[in-house]
Amino acid sequence: MPKFSVNQLEPGMKLAKPVMAKNGMVMLGEGTELTEIWIERIQDMDIHTVFIDGPTVQTLSMEEALSALDERFALVEDKPYMKNIKKIVKQHIEGLYE
Amino acid sequence: MSNIDPKVLRHRVESINTLPTVPSVLKRLSAVIEKPRITIVEISAFISNDPALTTKVLKMVNSAIYGFPGRIASVSHATMLLGLNVIKGLLLGVSVFELMQKTMSGLYEHSLACAIASRVIAQKKGMKEPEEVSVAGLLHDIGKVILTLEFAKEYEAAMGEAQEKRISIFEAEKNQFNATHADVGSWLAEKWRFPRNLVEVIEFHHRPALAKNAPMEAAIVHMADLLARARGFGFAGENFVPEINPMAFELLKLSDQDIQDVLQEMEDNMESAEDLS
Repeated sequence: MPKFSVNQLEPGMKLAKPVMAKNGMVMLGEGTELTEIWIERIQDMDIHTVFIDGPTVQTLSMEEALSALDERFALVEDKPYMKNIKKIVKQHIEGLYE
Repeated sequence: MSNIDPKVLRHRVESINTLPTVPSVLKRLSAVIEKPRITIVEISAFISNDPALTTKVLKMVNSAIYGFPGRIASVSHATMLLGLNVIKGLLLGVSVFELMQKTMSGLYEHSLACAIASRVIAQKKGMKEPEEVSVAGLLHDIGKVILTLEFAKEYEAAMGEAQEKRISIFEAEKNQFNATHADVGSWLAEKWRFPRNLVEVIEFHHRPALAKNAPMEAAIVHMADLLARARGFGFAGENFVPEINPMAFELLKLSDQDIQDVLQEMEDNMESAEDLS
C-alpha cells in the first residue's frame, strides 16, 4: 500500500490504514473512501502522509532484493533449519512483486 | 584485542544516570523506573506531566506493535491495560528510539520489526502476555544504544571488524569489549528492576538455550530477531542473518505457515510503524 502526501489526495481513493491523530486516536477508519470534505479535514490535521489502497512500489528490483537475501544468509546456508527458513523468506519476498 | 575490563565496563554502563553522553530525558526516566516500589499511579503521572512523552506513548500503544490499534485515549487507560512492566519497557522504547536513529541508523526499524514479530509469535504460542514479549523484542538490543553512545569509537571499530572479517557483530563486540550488547542490556535491565524474564530475554537472545526462567520468551525473541534480519528490515550492526539455535527452534515448533504469517504481519505493519518516532 503506497503512502501519499496529504496534498496529493484525490476523491475516490480508499484509505489502506486508519488516519490517526497525533495521540494515536482513529479519526477516519481503514477502507474509508475519500471525498472532497474528508480530504480537506485530513489536510487540516497535523499529519503529512496517509496510506492508500493499492500495490506498494518496492524500492529494490526483485533481482536486487534476492541477491541481498543471498548475501544475508551467506554465513548460515548449511546450518540446521536455515535452508528452509531462507526458502520461506525467499517466497515471501517474491510474493511482494506479484 | 580489547583492553576494556568488563568490570569497568559494567560500572560505566550502570552509571548511566551520570554519563555525559546520555540525554537528560533518558536520565530522568532511568531515575524514575529504577525506584524499587514505583506504582502505576506515579508512572502515569510522570508520563502525563510531559506532553511530548504522552504523545509518544499514546502513539506507540495505539500502533501495530500492540494488539489494540487506535483504541487507547489516555495514559491512565494505557497503564491499566498494559501493566507496570510493559509501560516501563515502552517508556524506555520511545525514549531510546530517537537515540537509536542518531547512533545506529536502522536499529530503530530492526527493533520495531522484532517487536512486531515477537508479538505475533507469542500470540501463536498462546502466551498469556504477548505485550510483554513484544516489549522484550523492542528492547532486546538496548545494549547497542548504550555502547554506541558511550563507546562510539570502539563500536565503530567493532562494526568495521564484523564487515571486514564477515563475522557477527556479537562476535566483534566480544573482541572489542570482552562483553556483548546482550550483557550490557541485561545489566541495564537489572538496574531498572525489570522482571527476571525480561532481563533473561535481553541477556540470552543470542543463546536462548541458557534462559532458565523464560526459555519460551527467549526463543521467541531469538526467532523474531532472526526473521527481522532475514527479511532485511533495518540494520543491527552488520547484515548477516544469525544461525538459529536448534533447541529454540524445536521448542517453538513453528510451521512453515506460521513463519509466513509472521513475515506477512511484519510487512503489513512496518510501513505504518516507521512513523512512530
